[in-house]
Amino acid sequence: MRILLLGFGTVGQGFAKLISEAGLELLGSYGIRPRIVAVADRGGAAVNLRGLDVEKLLQTKRKAGTVAAYPDHGKPGVSGLKLVEEVPGEVVVEVTPTNIRDGEPGLSHIMAALKAGKHVVTANKGPMALAFQALMELAEYNRVTLRFSGCVGGGTPILDFAGKCLVGDRITSIKGILNGTTNYILTRMTDAKLSFDEALKEAQALGYAEADPAMDVDGWDSACKLVILANWVLERKVRLEDVEVKGIRNITPEEIEDALKRKSHVKLIAYADQDTLRVSPELIPLGHPLCVSGVLNAVCFTSQYAGEETVVGKGAGGAETASAILRDLINIKQAASR
Amino acid sequence: MRLVMKFGGSSIASREGFKQACAIVEGHRKKGDLVAVVVSALGDTTDRLVEACDKAAGGDRKSVEAFLNSLQAEHMETCSWIAEEDARRKAEEAISAMIGELKEVLMGVAYIAEITPRVRDYVLSFGERLSAPLFKAALESEGLKSEWFTGKDAGIVTDSNFGNAKPLVELTLHQVKLRVGKPYSEGVIPVVSGFIGADQKGRITTLGRGGSDLTASLLGAALDADEVWLWTDVNGIMTADPKVEPSAKTISQLSYQEAMEMTFFGAKGIHPKAVEVAMDRGLPLRVKNTFNPEGPHTLITREAGVKTGFTAKAVSLIREVALITVGGAGLAGAPEVAAELFQILSEKRTNILMISQGSSEANISFAVSRDPVDELVSLLEMRLLGGKTVRQIDVEEDVCIVALVGAGMKGTPGIAARVFKAVAAEGVNIRMIAQGSSELNISFVVKREDGPKAVKALHREFKLGESS
Repeated sequence: MRILLLGFGTVGQGFAKLISEAGLELLGSYGIRPRIVAVADRGGAAVNLRGLDVEKLLQTKRKAGTVAAYPDHGKPGVSGLKLVEEVPGEVVVEVTPTNIRDGEPGLSHIMAALKAGKHVVTANKGPMALAFQALMELAEYNRVTLRFSGCVGGGTPILDFAGKCLVGDRITSIKGILNGTTNYILTRMTDAKLSFDEALKEAQALGYAEADPAMDVDGWDSACKLVILANWVLERKVRLEDVEVKGIRNITPEEIEDALKRKSHVKLIAYADQDTLRVSPELIPLGHPLCVSGVLNAVCFTSQYAGEETVVGKGAGGAETASAILRDLINIKQAASR
Repeated sequence: MRLVMKFGGSSIASREGFKQACAIVEGHRKKGDLVAVVVSALGDTTDRLVEACDKAAGGDRKSVEAFLNSLQAEHMETCSWIAEEDARRKAEEAISAMIGELKEVLMGVAYIAEITPRVRDYVLSFGERLSAPLFKAALESEGLKSEWFTGKDAGIVTDSNFGNAKPLVELTLHQVKLRVGKPYSEGVIPVVSGFIGADQKGRITTLGRGGSDLTASLLGAALDADEVWLWTDVNGIMTADPKVEPSAKTISQLSYQEAMEMTFFGAKGIHPKAVEVAMDRGLPLRVKNTFNPEGPHTLITREAGVKTGFTAKAVSLIREVALITVGGAGLAGAPEVAAELFQILSEKRTNILMISQGSSEANISFAVSRDPVDELVSLLEMRLLGGKTVRQIDVEEDVCIVALVGAGMKGTPGIAARVFKAVAAEGVNIRMIAQGSSELNISFVVKREDGPKAVKALHREFKLGESS
């Protein structure tokens, strides 16, 4: 399996490491012999049709800051889009940074890959939240697979749980905590009585929150994931702009205290059913399955027959998301060799 | 209101029509409505482009050149009527450039004396491409802001089935919103050439007959329009063809399903895919008359608006039909013959209008468009006759189809009895009958000369002239 890897940040590197470590097992258990034939990052690309050495890739990235410095096979300035169009391969793994304004460069990468008849695995929420239906249609038209497990829940198989484990049932609503950063901040505001700003600084110091925390604390990251869930699980044709979004920036210690008095915690809840699409802080009673602490994510699916089912897990992280990408790859291989 | 307006070829064929169309758009824009415009080719330009393709493929350069000259002259003349100064100059430049491009293509075709479906679509696209800059120029001459797009530039993506391409709807909506959404929301009037799109590799495709309706529906869905208005040269959709039944009236309200059933309403039908796109999103369609904008028109929504006592909405007549019957006692219990038959029809890309088989299974009848029937019949004879199962293949070329449509027919017993009684009273013999289980439509085949009689009889029996 020839893989084109677009984006070589935490997730991209985690994925490269994972497949090189899991190499023999992948071949033995799943018949997959993955070769990364091209990698692109901001500085350019590295291409070797016979496969790039993962150790060397990581080393090059560490030393030079870009894979374009890869010995002999480095191609400074060559874009991911060009790779997708010109380098042969079966699967494109798209893990460039999320951009929720226009989805780029991920959106163009994914479209070009599907048009070129390549399967796509992505953990990039932007393109999926902005153009879910368009991308799925393009994949179907070109008879290739587009998978995106890593977009929601990191390593926790939230999408597969809804799609596979609840198959045959009709899911009527989705309610959950889809962002670990904000859950950490709210947990610290509750447990340690910190103010929002103090809790945010702590989360940043621990690496849970970005220097610019807007995506997380203003609810957009949760909204992206909610849109993906609504399209995939509820079969609604919705886009990011359809979500009513309210973040946690204005949550005061008083509100946290009031919640506690009512035996509840304040949580940033994403909710979707056939009519509603909303991200906003809500009170969740102590003991409720969604009342999870720290960086945990939790999603509760309500279905017609099975009732309520809740999935809890660590929602993010490079290695965790990489594992979701690997699951998608194995799925694609299994579908292809059936 | 957020509106999308499509003007058909007959609406803008004349100088008056073109001015009238612009005045309609101008009126709505100045009232504060947002308007996007979809234009067809002027008059019969598309038919003449088809002819030019054939001439070019036959190596006839003289005819092609003469055609190009007249095409350029006509568009330049229209331009001089409707546009002024700067706007006119820009439109003239655009027209000249396009005619130049078209000339290169057609001369290339003439040179190699061969035309592929892909090149044909490219040539056919010029009709709509030429009218868009004209419309923009006309609007600008009235002091309005406008921008024109080809279907491809607007973001309409289709499969690669040249000649009758289907849009990738979701991808199209995404792209149209990105490209046309901004000027539209800012009050600029986007003018999009109808009927054409491009496949995912950017090669120009056409959407089939009535494709401009589909362009309008797609635009309406992408731009979150409140309504899509399809402007023609008649007062909406009529209860029957007024040339056949002079007392025909405009149908004021139709459901999407009814509108789809009426697709074959002569040339005035709406593209079925256009109705489907609108239906999926509950986008209301209005069919209006450019030359009588305040007059009666047809509204198409989810509601059928069935009035008590009026079960049927319209009766249509499809002419130029051939009825083919494949028979032989051995057909019974031999499904492979039916399979082979439909295989042949599919290979010839034959559009089947009606199918019927009695439960004796001794013959299968089907109605097809009469156009290429000789070739089809020969092929059927070659492949099916002579075996033990198929004994005969009969063709009747002097027939037509009469169809009665209406949501109120569903679940109302006795409709068929009324239909056949009314037709029998006129002494008309029915050759073949079909009713889909949707019950929205009863179709039957009669002799060509009996068609108008049957239409009149049904129009009277179901009081269609009074219902709207």
